[in-house]
Amino acid sequence: MSALAFEDVSKAFGGVKALRGVTLSVAPGDAHALMGENGAGKSTLMKIAAGIYRPDSGQLLRNGEAVDLASPRAALAAGIGLVHQETLLFPNLDVAENIFAGHEVRRGWFVDRRAMHERAASLLAHLRLDVDPSTTVSRLSAAQQQLLQVARALAFKCEVLILDEPTTSLTDTEVDRLFSVLEQLRSRGVTLIYVSHRLPEVFRLCRTVSVLRDGQHVGTWPLEGKSPQDIVRAMVGRDLATGHGHGKVGDTIRLDVRGLTRRPFFTDVHLQVRAGEIVGLFGLIGAGRTEVVETLFGLYRAEAGTVQLDGAPFAPQAPADAIRQGVVLQPEMRQSQGLFFNLPISENLLLAREAASKGWLRQLGRERGECEALLSRWGIKAASIDVPPDSLSGGNQQKVVLAKWLLTAPRILLLDEPTKGVDVGAKHDIHQLVREEAARGMGCLVVSSDLPELLALADRIVVLRQGRVQGELLRGATEEDVMHLATRADEPDAA
Amino acid sequence: MSRTDPQHGPAAADAGSGPPPAATPGRSRWVSLLRTRELSTLFILVAEIAFFAWYLWPDGGGRHPFVNAENGLLILKYSAIYGIAAIGASMVIISGGVDLAPGAVIALTTVVLGHQYLESQWSLLASILAGLGVGVLAGGLSAALVVLVRLPPFIATLGVMGITRGLAYIVTEGRFFDVSARIPPSWAPLGVPLDLIAPIVMVVLTVVFHLFMRHVQAGRAVFAVGGNETAARYTGIQVGRIKTMVYVASGVLAALSGVILVLGQGQGKADLANGYELDIIASAVIGGASLSGGRGSVVGAVLGTLIFGVLRNALPQIPGATFYDRLIVGLVVVVIVVVDQLLARRQA
Repeated sequence: MSALAFEDVSKAFGGVKALRGVTLSVAPGDAHALMGENGAGKSTLMKIAAGIYRPDSGQLLRNGEAVDLASPRAALAAGIGLVHQETLLFPNLDVAENIFAGHEVRRGWFVDRRAMHERAASLLAHLRLDVDPSTTVSRLSAAQQQLLQVARALAFKCEVLILDEPTTSLTDTEVDRLFSVLEQLRSRGVTLIYVSHRLPEVFRLCRTVSVLRDGQHVGTWPLEGKSPQDIVRAMVGRDLATGHGHGKVGDTIRLDVRGLTRRPFFTDVHLQVRAGEIVGLFGLIGAGRTEVVETLFGLYRAEAGTVQLDGAPFAPQAPADAIRQGVVLQPEMRQSQGLFFNLPISENLLLAREAASKGWLRQLGRERGECEALLSRWGIKAASIDVPPDSLSGGNQQKVVLAKWLLTAPRILLLDEPTKGVDVGAKHDIHQLVREEAARGMGCLVVSSDLPELLALADRIVVLRQGRVQGELLRGATEEDVMHLATRADEPDAA
Repeated sequence: MSRTDPQHGPAAADAGSGPPPAATPGRSRWVSLLRTRELSTLFILVAEIAFFAWYLWPDGGGRHPFVNAENGLLILKYSAIYGIAAIGASMVIISGGVDLAPGAVIALTTVVLGHQYLESQWSLLASILAGLGVGVLAGGLSAALVVLVRLPPFIATLGVMGITRGLAYIVTEGRFFDVSARIPPSWAPLGVPLDLIAPIVMVVLTVVFHLFMRHVQAGRAVFAVGGNETAARYTGIQVGRIKTMVYVASGVLAALSGVILVLGQGQGKADLANGYELDIIASAVIGGASLSGGRGSVVGAVLGTLIFGVLRNALPQIPGATFYDRLIVGLVVVVIVVVDQLLARRQA
């Protein structure tokens, strides 16, 4: 008997079929990975299990019995909890209030704060989360907030815990912590369903994997004996060549950064990007990577150091200034920093170039064709260029942001986590696009915490630690080499 | 519990695997034009006029009390005071802000114009420019508080509203400036009768600003700033400049309303245009603006002021309805916005 089973579940949004007759079962006590590209239907399926959506047809079985999960509350009552990708918490309330929001411990008509705090404290201890239940949630780290969501699910005595991309905003150490908690939960009989794009995590935590593609169930296999390539093939339906190198790095130095300093984030950073070169910028969280590229983009002022762009001094006062001189940044958060959901895709594509241009009148007529050509050339699947980008999958949204910048014909492309939360296929496409653009003579500086990505993409990797450059590694370096430079912090008197 | 449960919250920002794009077939341009908010607002206005034309139909024949050229002009003339200010206020709303100052700016403008013209013996043109200067200063102050001090727009413009209204009382010291003594109602600059100036200015400015918001880069940037300010900054849009532009425009347009008001009605008084700001905001909202920014239309806002103008004109003509007009105005706002949201939800 399965802890949770889907029988012939279908769900459509408007005319789009998100799920087409998915039949899938999860054994009790299993750690079950659910994989698939963006738009494959994973989140829809999980939201059905959590009572957020109702299926159009088909049914759910919980311990072999049909259940009707009409609301999130009903799902929780059936013992199914969902930990969302973005932490959905009340940042203004304290930890205990968050755990018990909506089902406060009461004595008569009043909320029993003491009992609530006591129960919260024991839950937190369970999860080895060392925070006081009266701490305001906005003061917790991303990892602590993620664990708090787990605590919330456990407070409802959930026996099936669904985690939707829980690690996207966590550091490696925090991932380790989360995983040891999850292992512990599983050993106590909690069934885990783990939705992720990250293959290494899936292989580490899970025993079984189910793959969805285009709203259909491709298959379920035990993970033992499977290789990452097998899974990717099942997800994408084709083999992805792992591209390496793109040749032709020019000799001309396009970007020359000398002694750039903005305390307390980074100090005395030296780096160069040549024409046609893809340079990786690696470091652990807090090493100052994002701050370096944001400063180069003119979002912040450096306090010392010089930057030269094609031999001329470059000191942007604002992003508009940097863009006009040909330096652009694909920011880390595409939804909050990159896209306008109130405007159609066409304007999302064109705004940056317009803002940088001297002209003030728009010529949308002529530009429509340009946008449509871009969508088809880049394989961005959209109903039309007149709809807002919220209907696009994460990977396609990311492509829209990237296309917006390439339309400005930049000299230097700064990329901050270009494939965060993007599925394997789109990731491959984005890498290919970056390589193509670099081959035309653009210089790229890529920040990524995905080390295999950097090793595959970059010609050279500059490693930061605590805001200082620790060294440079050429193509062919291993993950160990990079991590060694990035973590020397802990050794006394390194560097 | 009225609180939203975190696990049950809306499925917002589902970056991962939201439903793929809806396959909307390429609707013809004509159909999509019909579905714009401007047109549906116009439809409401026409329906409203038709209703009052029917309801107030004179029994014994003869002159219609509501549908006649004179009354139409009257409605346009009074609505224009709101309408011109609403152009600016709707731009502020689209940029994600709100402007509470227009009513007070209108009042201070009438007072300053009257004071300079009558007491300081300035020429009429110089007095008008002084009046418009009030708008520049008030809008500039709002912009400075929002952009430089980073006050929430509601608070910043609430302060500017108080300061402006307060100055109007200080300048007048309880008096009012009777401009009509020196500007006869028959005055017709450039051969245009005074009564026609307000509607003409309103229509011309509506067209100008509509085109600006649609086809000029800075106008589109207002939508971008209102939709996602962070992304606008990261896209190279100079957010501070755009915000300054909309607040100053709102101030100047409100001042222009004040100029037209004092020329038309002949009085510069500190307690004029009391509470207009809320009617103006309501007009922008029934014209399709979203108070969370990024959505709205200049034409819609001006049509909104006409919808209210017709209500204010027609209701007093219905016996016994006088005391209901605020209630009805309130109901109209709620009903229109609710219907709009229901339609939007069905489309989604």
